Amino acid sequence: MTVVETLLVFLVAPLSVYLLLWALTYLPGGRKRQGVQYKPGQSWDHEPVWYEPQPQGAPTHAAGEGDTQAVGSSLYGEPAALGSGDGVGPAHGGHGATALSAGAPTPATVGPLGGARGTW
Amino acid sequence: MTRVLHADPHDTGTVDTAPNRADEGYDTVFSYRELARLDEALTMSSRETGLRFTLYIGDLGKQTRLRAEELHARGGDPANSVLLAVSPGQRVVEVVTGPSAARRLPDRACALAVLSMTNSFAAGDLVGGVVNGLRQLSDQAGHPRLARDHH
Repeated sequence: MTVVETLLVFLVAPLSVYLLLWALTYLPGGRKRQGVQYKPGQSWDHEPVWYEPQPQGAPTHAAGEGDTQAVGSSLYGEPAALGSGDGVGPAHGGHGATALSAGAPTPATVGPLGGARGTW
Repeated sequence: MTRVLHADPHDTGTVDTAPNRADEGYDTVFSYRELARLDEALTMSSRETGLRFTLYIGDLGKQTRLRAEELHARGGDPANSVLLAVSPGQRVVEVVTGPSAARRLPDRACALAVLSMTNSFAAGDLVGGVVNGLRQLSDQAGHPRLARDHH
């Protein structure tokens, strides 16, 4: 084994392995995180969103005719022409589950409400 | 070289080609994966319990409780619905249960869920907190048929 071969096997080869792993780990484009990283205490100046569950009869397979498969929408197809399932109105700027529009308040008292409150 | 021409959109969209929600700018508050988690948590907890869980994320104004109750009344089927209103900017979470939902979800159970949610929120994990809170709430509420047999 010549000196050159020794250097190649014991120095260059391990270094190249290290460099490859380093590049895969740290070079940009590998893993990009979408969305905001929320940190407690930072201000929240995004549009309010209101997510609601999918209606019971929603198709669970790929959307068929009359359904849209909106990007960022739910996994289930939704009727294209309709708004949210309970007739609250067409959803604007919705993503995720159906987002309701925050229109004029129509408070209807239904009885004593329960619940809880928390801060952090 | 070709140049991109800024053509005005023609108003010739049909039902199928009209701009829809997918064409609007995607607000990147949550990633797709987080949205899918939220969607699944809301949908499955609502289906299991028969209650209607909704999640509001946004500012709640000065009187957070009043605003949350107002939102709760505005959603569909307020008696049976449970609203989780999270205001990350104000660091407040409100859970509002309708009258018949409150029979299956006592305030103490809501407070416990809120406690676990605020723990996650304080660590910066909004989606995880919401998902865990929904899981706790739906576990507490149980299945409607089982609840009916029980009483």
